[in-house]
Amino acid sequence: MLRKEINELLTETDVGKPMGEMFRQYWIPALLASELPEDDCPPTRVKLLGERLIAFRDSKGRYGLMDEFCAHRGVSLWFGRNEEDGLRCPYHGWKYDYTGQCIEVPSEPEESGFCEKIKLKGYPLIKVGDVLWTHMGDKEDRPPEPIWEFATVPAEQTYSSKRWQECNWLQAMEGGIDSSHVSFLHSGGLKTDPLFRGAKGNKYNEADKKPVFEVVESDGGLHIGARRNAEDGQYYWRVTPWIMPSFTMVPPRGDHPMHGHFWIPIDDHNCWAWSFDYHPTRALSPEERKAMEDGYGVHNQYVPDTFRPLQNKDNDYLMDREAQKRGDSYSGIWGIAMQDASLQESMGPIVDRTRENLVSTDNGIIMARHRLRKAVVALRDKGAQPPGRTPEHQLVRSAARVLSPEEPFGDAMKEDLTARAGVKQTSV
Amino acid sequence: MPHDHDDMFEADNATRAGRGPVDHPTMLSSCARAATAEEARFRVQYPNSLSRTSRIFALDQPAAEAMYAVTEDPWNNAHFLTVLANGTITPGTASRDIPISHPDGAAADLDAELAGADVVVLLATDGSSESAAEVIARECFKRKIMCAGIALKRGTSAGNMDQVVNSMRKFTRVLVVAQDDDYIPAMLAALQA
Repeated sequence: MLRKEINELLTETDVGKPMGEMFRQYWIPALLASELPEDDCPPTRVKLLGERLIAFRDSKGRYGLMDEFCAHRGVSLWFGRNEEDGLRCPYHGWKYDYTGQCIEVPSEPEESGFCEKIKLKGYPLIKVGDVLWTHMGDKEDRPPEPIWEFATVPAEQTYSSKRWQECNWLQAMEGGIDSSHVSFLHSGGLKTDPLFRGAKGNKYNEADKKPVFEVVESDGGLHIGARRNAEDGQYYWRVTPWIMPSFTMVPPRGDHPMHGHFWIPIDDHNCWAWSFDYHPTRALSPEERKAMEDGYGVHNQYVPDTFRPLQNKDNDYLMDREAQKRGDSYSGIWGIAMQDASLQESMGPIVDRTRENLVSTDNGIIMARHRLRKAVVALRDKGAQPPGRTPEHQLVRSAARVLSPEEPFGDAMKEDLTARAGVKQTSV
Repeated sequence: MPHDHDDMFEADNATRAGRGPVDHPTMLSSCARAATAEEARFRVQYPNSLSRTSRIFALDQPAAEAMYAVTEDPWNNAHFLTVLANGTITPGTASRDIPISHPDGAAADLDAELAGADVVVLLATDGSSESAAEVIARECFKRKIMCAGIALKRGTSAGNMDQVVNSMRKFTRVLVVAQDDDYIPAMLAALQA
């Protein structure tokens, strides 16, 4: 249960809202680099944190992200011409550079300097890995560029996708740290999904449906450990890191690529679910990359030429009751990603947390909300920068390992939970 | 298996995987499209749960200090209890012999406190009370009561924290290692204690 005012505090992310201001303290994923594939390519509309923006790549390869609408008459610059180092409004020819600065107003004398007085709100857009990142906060408080491992390994070792999720970011993110749902909702996928199946650790999941949880605060967020029984009285640990505000990783299985998510608010009723897979030490195989493109693992299929999942609320997520009955899929929805999204969207655009009945195994969620609330209030009231902005907080990994009962995972797996260049993931 | 793009639904008449053709009009509230803010106002608003009975045990004195800071808050049906340091507790100690008290110092009886409890939360800052944790957890297990633990860091050393985590891990189904005491009221409020 969460009080109404705290629910609003954590879920509302428009400009001026405390959580919106908190998201604006971070570099957040804005677009796939493939959305702006070449210089002078067509611009792309993107809505982030309740702001409608236009992204483009100019003639010199510089990325721009700015107010979607021309300062003259409010025309959408999506209709614009991306040419000669700027985006030109097709209505009256006003032209903007990659920072949002107006550089040409054809109707005014060039010598008047009028265009210098016109500037659209613009945000930096940088490429790290196969993702374009933006920082929508004050320039003075800009954090170091992101160094998440999935974005910094060589290109052949990583794959990212994004999908439109039709609900608030928080309920989507909470799914990523809710380890107790995996034994139910995703139970079918362990046997069939090419990006999960075959790992030795899967048998521990299948044999022990009632994991025991440990939630440990870390400097950047949380570690959520799920413990199951293994052989000889040992424990099989699967540890999920959560870094504030919305980064999580799924514990690995065997030598399969590691995967994780960002959940980024589009507006209060929609978010981008970013999903990535990478292997720290080897290239993804053609089969793995094909599986990701085909929507296996944490990825999904799309309505063609969109980022909307093929299975969506307009088609009841292609619910398959026969598959549900057979047990191929516990919920009857195909694919890990849409199994989660279908249920999270069904909760409504912003779930009413005053009516929920949390239990002890929800402590990962309870603690994440607690940390978020404290950070939001500290930023709002004292200007304190939240955790998760710095490189040391971002050098994290998920991990899975068998330990003896006396070993706290926080100590025993400290190195395993740290991203280390050229070092393979710890997995079972 | 993935669906072919051709399989994508078209209006309400698409052939859906594993389903027959949908050839009837569908009300908004009869399909997944109902996940809108407008439809949310039609959600049933009757209470969906009864109040819970929670028992919170501070296993050592620093944990009791942290607990006492929140005992006056308006809880539903929570009792706050302290395991007294003046008794010698072993894993074999009978439940009736566990020395526990209410915040006002009045003696309490473990069996009576656990009768009808829905959830037990153990608070500890060191491993000194492992035997008390074991006795309480054993009684919870017998009564099928969920037993959760919070290990409070409170500036304690890493070694001490390992000790408390190791001791509580044996007895709790959920264990939280919290940096600050303010997690106690946050967790209890979330659990509707």
